[in-house]
Amino acid sequence: MSWLYALRQGRWGIAGFSALAFVITLLNTIGFYRIAGNTPTERAAFARSITVLAGQFTVLLAPPFRADTVGGYVQFRVYGALAILVAVWAVAAAAGTRGDEERGLLEAVLATGVSRADAIASRFLAFAMGGVVVAAAAALGFVLGVDRTQDAIDAFSVLGASVLVAGIALACYSLALLVTQLVSARFAAAGAGIVLLALFLTNSLSRTIDALLTWRVLSPFYYYDRSQPLSPGGNFDVRATEVLFAIAVVGAVAATLAFAFRDLGSPIARLPVRAHPPVRDISHVPFWRAPIVRGLYDRRFGLVVWMAGFAALAALFVVLTKQIVQPLLAIAALRPYIDSVIKGDIYPSFLGILWFAFGQLLIAGYAITQVGRWSAEDGDGRLELVLSQPVSRRAVVLERALVLGLGALAIAAAGAVGVALEARSQAIVLDTGRLATASMLLVPFAGFFAAIGSLLAARVPRATVGVLGGFAFVTYFIDQLAPVFKWPAWVEDLSPFHLYGRPLTSGVDGTGLAIMVAVVLVGFVASALLLERRDVGA
Amino acid sequence: MTVPAIQTSRLTKDYGLGRGLFDLDLEIPQQQVFGFLGPNGAGKTTSIRCVMGMIRPTSGSAHVFGLDCLRDSVAVKRKVGYLPGDVPQFGGMRGNEVVAYFGGMRGGADPHRVRELAERFDLDLGRRFREYSSGNKQKLGILLAFMHSPPLLILDEPTGGLDPLNQQEFYRLVREVRDAGATVFLSSHILSEVEHVCDRVGIVRGGRLVRVAELDDLHRIRVHRVELEFADGAVIPERAIREADGVQDFVVDGRIVTCTVHGSFEPLMAALRGVPVTNLVSHEPSLEEFFLEYYREGDELAVRP
Repeated sequence: MSWLYALRQGRWGIAGFSALAFVITLLNTIGFYRIAGNTPTERAAFARSITVLAGQFTVLLAPPFRADTVGGYVQFRVYGALAILVAVWAVAAAAGTRGDEERGLLEAVLATGVSRADAIASRFLAFAMGGVVVAAAAALGFVLGVDRTQDAIDAFSVLGASVLVAGIALACYSLALLVTQLVSARFAAAGAGIVLLALFLTNSLSRTIDALLTWRVLSPFYYYDRSQPLSPGGNFDVRATEVLFAIAVVGAVAATLAFAFRDLGSPIARLPVRAHPPVRDISHVPFWRAPIVRGLYDRRFGLVVWMAGFAALAALFVVLTKQIVQPLLAIAALRPYIDSVIKGDIYPSFLGILWFAFGQLLIAGYAITQVGRWSAEDGDGRLELVLSQPVSRRAVVLERALVLGLGALAIAAAGAVGVALEARSQAIVLDTGRLATASMLLVPFAGFFAAIGSLLAARVPRATVGVLGGFAFVTYFIDQLAPVFKWPAWVEDLSPFHLYGRPLTSGVDGTGLAIMVAVVLVGFVASALLLERRDVGA
Repeated sequence: MTVPAIQTSRLTKDYGLGRGLFDLDLEIPQQQVFGFLGPNGAGKTTSIRCVMGMIRPTSGSAHVFGLDCLRDSVAVKRKVGYLPGDVPQFGGMRGNEVVAYFGGMRGGADPHRVRELAERFDLDLGRRFREYSSGNKQKLGILLAFMHSPPLLILDEPTGGLDPLNQQEFYRLVREVRDAGATVFLSSHILSEVEHVCDRVGIVRGGRLVRVAELDDLHRIRVHRVELEFADGAVIPERAIREADGVQDFVVDGRIVTCTVHGSFEPLMAALRGVPVTNLVSHEPSLEEFFLEYYREGDELAVRP
């Protein structure tokens, strides 16, 4: 397999993530001049407010350094998020390699005489080139966005930031590639995602949980955060960057070895299959027979994992809220800024932003995985077989919507239970009704993405996941950037992240809820109509 | 008069650039096994998907037991057992879960029929789909199509991946359901399969139905390769042979003449009357060879009905 072929396989990922990196960097760089002010005093005040803001996002982003400068602000606001962005891309790309294996593509490639090491090396090289392109796109966004009448661009700083982005992308990819060799293809994406999420949280939570300080050295994100090259006076930790690339190389070598030792189509270690007499009977589990229930039962393992993970993370975020808010309250100088940023009770406010902002991303991820499954069913012929049964296409869309809604409801309910139980043990007083409302609002929020995804799956099933993922990022940044650029309200209303509102502190935003419900209804009805008219299996 | 099991009228699906299916007129009576023959890309699967309502025809119509395949698609599918050309992926689901899942969509599957089919094809329904060989996946697809004993079976290349023993079992099964009153519409590019089970055959090429024939007709229109050896001193009636109806590819090499004969031998025999022939070898091509001849790329149809 040549690296050019591997590059071709990943071209849409490279193009999409490069475009995202460019747009995000450009908009945030331009946005800095809109919101930071022009005088040193204004910028110092801006930096202090950013410090308070950073406290709410400490689980996602490293603390800012010199946020009064465009470099410091973009380093914090964009390059912190870029690490997450490229990690998501790395997981998708590594899982895609196992997907090629499932489809028999890799078998065909190996049959041509390409060695397994070459196959992995080609993928690695292609992803490395993609990483360079994404890093360059981000750098270009920054360079184009900087107002040169106010700030000079230090080429070495930009280069350093780009090297770091390429490094974290490669490190994440090689680790994801390694994990995908160890597990079955079915769990490749989930396994790689869980491992990278665990490594990410190990580093980010170590900012507030001391017990994790010794473990964070295992995380590539730790080495990424060690440098802040865009911030004036910020350092570029050469040693940490070397470790980042060393992780990439070691991970790739380990992945190659694992690939060499495992059977094609199998994980490196398999549980022995117990001998059993042949089964000739239909499954007696009654859940398979009932519409909707069969969909939930089919997804039962994934759903249980989502519920358990969501509840555990919810509880963890309650603990984090406590640990973040207490030190902030102890800094008297920050109090005026906290009061100006936070309205109402401080703990629910922080929890509302910390947990429910993260929970929105997670539940959006859940919706996207379900939509991904719908488009996969279209591609692998399962939809064709379903439609050969006496069910209408409308019924298929309706059943999908209800299965997703009930799944999201179960996950949101698990999260609410996690928050409620941990809040009680942390002595944080929460309005139970608002907690329930905030959690239940995650259902139409998930439905918003699912409806858009259903529409895409009905029209362009092969591009659905990529487009929907891009849509999620764009709408997330609409919510983030609309206040900065003072975009009109209707633009903000395009983002479900904005429509969700702040239900834990402010109650339900009726308009936002109405728009979300309308999008859900219109999206699913329109997708049913589109599916009616579309060829399946052609 | 009973309605046809399948009836299409000028059914067309135009993908552009000459690809697709064009003006398919087909009528398949009930309780018949109909073979739909054609090479890859001839339009077999497109025809099947139009009949199944999976794809919308550009023009024309398709009916199953008098029901419109698009307007009455749910009612149509109650009457149909369908095997797609590629059995879809069910990942980690066990065979019996797949059966229960699709059985549930039909309001339940007959457990006795499922057991009987699993035993006939020696299919272990306790294993995960991912662990199945391609043959076992195909068996599962066959089981899903037959398990509710539908009056019409639409099977797209049903024996792909099956070993010869299971192929024979499949042919027996098809005959049984036909004898029990069902209609079977199967596509294939394997002529021996057609010989085994079909009552009637439609041949499709380049998206157009070029012939519908009883199996006996198919035998009649076969091509024969003939080698004639004339006696020493005999005058070879070259012109008479060359002009005989159905004779093509005429070549003379000394006392030996080779040619191909399409249809009846009578015109050739008439041309040879009175000429001493010392040896005559007629090689009857297999159906596969006939098929290749029939579909030789770029040629006019080699066989005229």
